[in-house]
Amino acid sequence: MNSPCGGSNLPQGVSLARSPAYIRPMLKIDNLSATVGEGEEAKLIIKGLTLDVPAGEVHVIMGPNGAGKSTLSYVLTGREGYEVTGGSATLNGEDILGMEPEERAAKGLFLSFQYPVEIPGVPVMTFVRTAMNSQRKLRGEDEISAPDFIKKSREIAKQLKLDAEMLKRPVNVGFSGGEKKRLEIYQMMMLEPKFLILDETDSGLDIDALKTVAEGVNAMRAPDRGMLVITHYQRLLDHIKPDRVHVMAAGRIVTSGGPELATRLEAEGYDGVLGEAV
Amino acid sequence: MTTALRDLIRNPNAAELELVARYGMLSEDARRERAFEAFAKGGLPHRRVEGWRWSDIKAALPVIETPPTITQTDIRVTDGALVFTFTPTGFTWPDTLPEGIRMLAKPEAQAFGASEDLPLGALAAALSGGGKKPATLMFEVTGTDLPRVHFRFSGAGEANFARIQFVLRPGAELDVSESYLGGAGFTACLVEYSLQEGARLSRTVCQGGGDAEVLAATASVQLDAAADYTQTTLAFGAKLARLETRLTHQGSGAKATLNAAYLCAAGRHADITTEVRHGATACTTRQLTKGAVLDGGRGVYQGKFFVPRNVGQQTDADMQHNALLLEEGAEVFAKPELEIYADDVECAHGNTSGALDANQLFYMRQRGISEAEARALLTEAFIAEALETAGDLEDVLREEARGWLAR
Repeated sequence: MNSPCGGSNLPQGVSLARSPAYIRPMLKIDNLSATVGEGEEAKLIIKGLTLDVPAGEVHVIMGPNGAGKSTLSYVLTGREGYEVTGGSATLNGEDILGMEPEERAAKGLFLSFQYPVEIPGVPVMTFVRTAMNSQRKLRGEDEISAPDFIKKSREIAKQLKLDAEMLKRPVNVGFSGGEKKRLEIYQMMMLEPKFLILDETDSGLDIDALKTVAEGVNAMRAPDRGMLVITHYQRLLDHIKPDRVHVMAAGRIVTSGGPELATRLEAEGYDGVLGEAV
Repeated sequence: MTTALRDLIRNPNAAELELVARYGMLSEDARRERAFEAFAKGGLPHRRVEGWRWSDIKAALPVIETPPTITQTDIRVTDGALVFTFTPTGFTWPDTLPEGIRMLAKPEAQAFGASEDLPLGALAAALSGGGKKPATLMFEVTGTDLPRVHFRFSGAGEANFARIQFVLRPGAELDVSESYLGGAGFTACLVEYSLQEGARLSRTVCQGGGDAEVLAATASVQLDAAADYTQTTLAFGAKLARLETRLTHQGSGAKATLNAAYLCAAGRHADITTEVRHGATACTTRQLTKGAVLDGGRGVYQGKFFVPRNVGQQTDADMQHNALLLEEGAEVFAKPELEIYADDVECAHGNTSGALDANQLFYMRQRGISEAEARALLTEAFIAEALETAGDLEDVLREEARGWLAR
């Protein structure tokens, strides 16, 4: 393996000024194309998208309805019915597109769903413990002991102001919109993924729930963890400060910038910003 | 006599001829004779008989022979349970019975009148007994705080027949379980429960065994006023397994719960058939049946509520059947029926079948749960509700189901 800094291709004594992460992004998407639907119904939604997210950074994808933002999150996590037709996506240098969804999860990829799914009959604790142990098994690690699991769960539930009773109930069944999103954050904190994709995590949240969720996400920020935040509105970015903002339209990234781009989008709208970018 | 009976069965197959021969070897008895006549009129039921169109016993049982040996492990029942075992050739029973339950020498309950529309129940009544086996094992229950009574049907052989009767005196309470472990090529048993006023009985049935076997377990239940009957069944099917319940509300205010879950792998056929007659006012019936079937498996559900014009007033009855077709090639046949002649009743029924939810599967896999494990968890969750009525055996049945799902 080449060292990111001072690799064998560089003359002796020369090192790159940028951080190692920039040379080797954590999530690297290159010229990705993907269709949704089967057979003749298949429709090209992602059209040559390129995006790098280094470890330790939070990147935001904003864009109008129908830009393909949620599709991108499903393609990256391997949902059935989403077919990659070109390009590549790697996580820490490993091709993820050929993996089963559960293998990607075990590699540390986590998707916080825009609409978390209800699973009647499966209590939250059973669900998360099964997920945690399945991931560990795939990674060749030992299972977590019941006392360790319960201790960890208690601490995180407290931090997220989650009622312990809620964790005994079936996953998302009868939960309010805010509770569902908080449960996504709970799962995220329990599973400690390496890379997070948050798909419209702010939708359906009142301001208090939004703050709790944002605090949870911010607590997950770490030098060895990357995040891709998909959102419609700037309001989430008042609470989660991004390193980079990308604007997605018609299946590709059309412009990128710093946090100020989000403010401009809020002021000028997508038409204003996109008019100039296209 | 035997010749005359043989002539009753049209185009008998080798299995039917064997049944006639077995009958001929048993001692003469008027009840036995009536029962065998009832069976012989139609012989082994087949698909041209309504009620058996999806469960053709005659085709599944061309001959009666000892099936390949299988491992038989009984479900875990509470310590202190009174265990009775029926094998093809023998019978074992506990040394003593506690006060409050005793065996009767003479039949008392006439719950089963050799009706022709329960041909395999009639057959069990006709052929049970011989050797050490009782023609009818009869119990009278007067106590309340009694240990569980557990029946085990197991052991290798050609055929296993049994007839069991319970009379629960007013206010008596009992938990009964029946475990069909297979081993015989053909098992037919008839279990009759008569609950007198205010009596309570919980019956749990677990059916397993090998996939070369044919089983017919028929229950006939009569409820007097304010009696409370709960039945919970878990069936894994066999070459053909028919679990049939005929229940009559004959005293007002009686309450019946009839739940079942079936899980069928390739080559397995499970049939849950029930008929409930609301023959008294203000009786309640709750029925929930859940099933999950793999490619090459077959589930059959037939449920009927019959509410006569006058006596059936203020009936409150609900029937639900939900099936999961886990793979292409899985088969489920369902016939829910309500036949209502009374005008002041609340009767509902629902029937669904479908596949596992793709959203739920993806959500679970995204969290790292393998597809096989996700399917097992979702299927277990799906059938679990039907097993909630099994009391202290609920966890045992869940474990059995989990074992099947983990295969």
